[in-house]
Amino acid sequence: MSPAIDTVAFFDALSDEMNASTERLRIVGDADMTAVVVMHRPGGDLRVRLVFEGLICAGVAEVGAEEAGHADFALVGDLADWQGMFDDIVANGRATGLWTINSLALLGDRISCQGDDPMGLDKFSRFNQTLQEFFDGAARIAVAA
Amino acid sequence: MTVTDDADRPAYDELPSESPLGAPLDWAWLRGAKSEWGIHPKPSPRGLTMLDIAVGTYGDIPEHPPRRSMAPRGADVDDDVVDMGYILNSKTDVWAENTRELYEEAVARQWSATRDIPWGELQELPDDVEHAVCQLCTLLTEVEMIAADLPAKWMWRMNHDFIEAKMFLCTQIMDEARHAEVFRKRALANGGGLLLSRGGPTSLLRTIIEAKTYTQASALLHLLGEGFVLDIFRMGELIAPTDVEKRIFRMCMQDEARHVAYGTMHLRYAVENDPDVAEEIHAALDHGEQVLIDFGTAPDVSTALALLLAGGAEHVEDKGFPLALELTKKQFTSYLARCERAGISRLERTTVPLDLLGIDPEQVRGAAPAAQGAQS
Ligand SMILES: [Fe+2]
Ligand SMILES: [Fe+2]
Repeated sequence: MSPAIDTVAFFDALSDEMNASTERLRIVGDADMTAVVVMHRPGGDLRVRLVFEGLICAGVAEVGAEEAGHADFALVGDLADWQGMFDDIVANGRATGLWTINSLALLGDRISCQGDDPMGLDKFSRFNQTLQEFFDGAARIAVAA
Repeated sequence: MTVTDDADRPAYDELPSESPLGAPLDWAWLRGAKSEWGIHPKPSPRGLTMLDIAVGTYGDIPEHPPRRSMAPRGADVDDDVVDMGYILNSKTDVWAENTRELYEEAVARQWSATRDIPWGELQELPDDVEHAVCQLCTLLTEVEMIAADLPAKWMWRMNHDFIEAKMFLCTQIMDEARHAEVFRKRALANGGGLLLSRGGPTSLLRTIIEAKTYTQASALLHLLGEGFVLDIFRMGELIAPTDVEKRIFRMCMQDEARHVAYGTMHLRYAVENDPDVAEEIHAALDHGEQVLIDFGTAPDVSTALALLLAGGAEHVEDKGFPLALELTKKQFTSYLARCERAGISRLERTTVPLDLLGIDPEQVRGAAPAAQGAQS
């Protein structure tokens, strides 16, 4: 079983999966961005900072509110909605329909893309498919588990 | 500066001064030029990037290049090099602080409209939806190439010392060729074809191509026009009837965001270093916003978008137009936020009906509700 999604271990596993498949990522190309995943959950939010460099995820770390504010953008949603997204990825092998991170952020009612710098927010668009590949790794770690 | 005329180096005195055919020979490049030698840039983990080689004097971009020739910046240049007639000879005319990064990013993230779109998965669509896709693709095929023609119009006028900016614009031209390609292919690929092309969009394209200065052109193209197209591509998730079109929009979105990123940072650099240029940009945007509103409300554009957002003709009024209004709100909100970031606030000056669109200027100003959300 893969770790629960509201753990750093889960994002570490996604990072390992991405970093083991750089050949696949080569089609999408290099990316340089810092994103923060924020999961609202009972007992306190989880904030995980993801640093992408070139074809790899170079850093995964739980961060505090202030550090989270320094990322290019934050993807913010309730734990249940994040679970919904990852369930869709595991069920279909990749995100489908309105469960892609682009669709979710566009509608913004379940998971929204936030940030106070338009240049940072635009990185969500510039590197969107890299981020999707990263999240889609959940399907492969679920199979491997 | 390290120079090549090092006393420890061989003098190569034995080399001939005439070719076998009697032509004079010059070995100055071997005996030592004044240019910087031996800087050994170190490749980064992804390879040797333009950032890696921006070291020593090679990384210095002059504010006002001393020449107007094609001599490479950093070379030991003769006095008699040819003047190429450049008119953009100030760094503020073309530069953006993210130019090198964006060039590398563009090269690394190229894709193929032939190979990377799952054309084989196209499905037969209802008649109204296929027509709307084809109408939108007709429009996009038409407008994409303005974003290639515009840089092309100005590039040969840019001083060669700003080569990184010119290289980035070359990638934009390639990107736009691919965008025109992918929308043209989509229009034809599913049993439809190209539909109506009318006068409305042309006036926007003319306004962009006829801008008096490159910085005005960049404001109209990169910030205003491409910013709007970027939001249409983002909305591709709702516009696209199948995964094929979604993929097209997502791939184009990544490219488009790069072009907008260059424009935003170019305008910022220009305004920061030459405050007088702000009024020039405002004047262009005063006119450009009006033309863009006319473009966005042109009958063919608004109807095709509304029909796609509604998923068909049946719900065009109760679903399509309300969603289209949301799109317009998003487009203007992100445009105004980028203007703030570029240092050319439009909030007091724009004639865009902010009230009517429900846009809160305070939110645009960056009251940072977003960061609060991230930190909450
Ligand atoms: Fe484009
Ligand atoms: Fe573009």
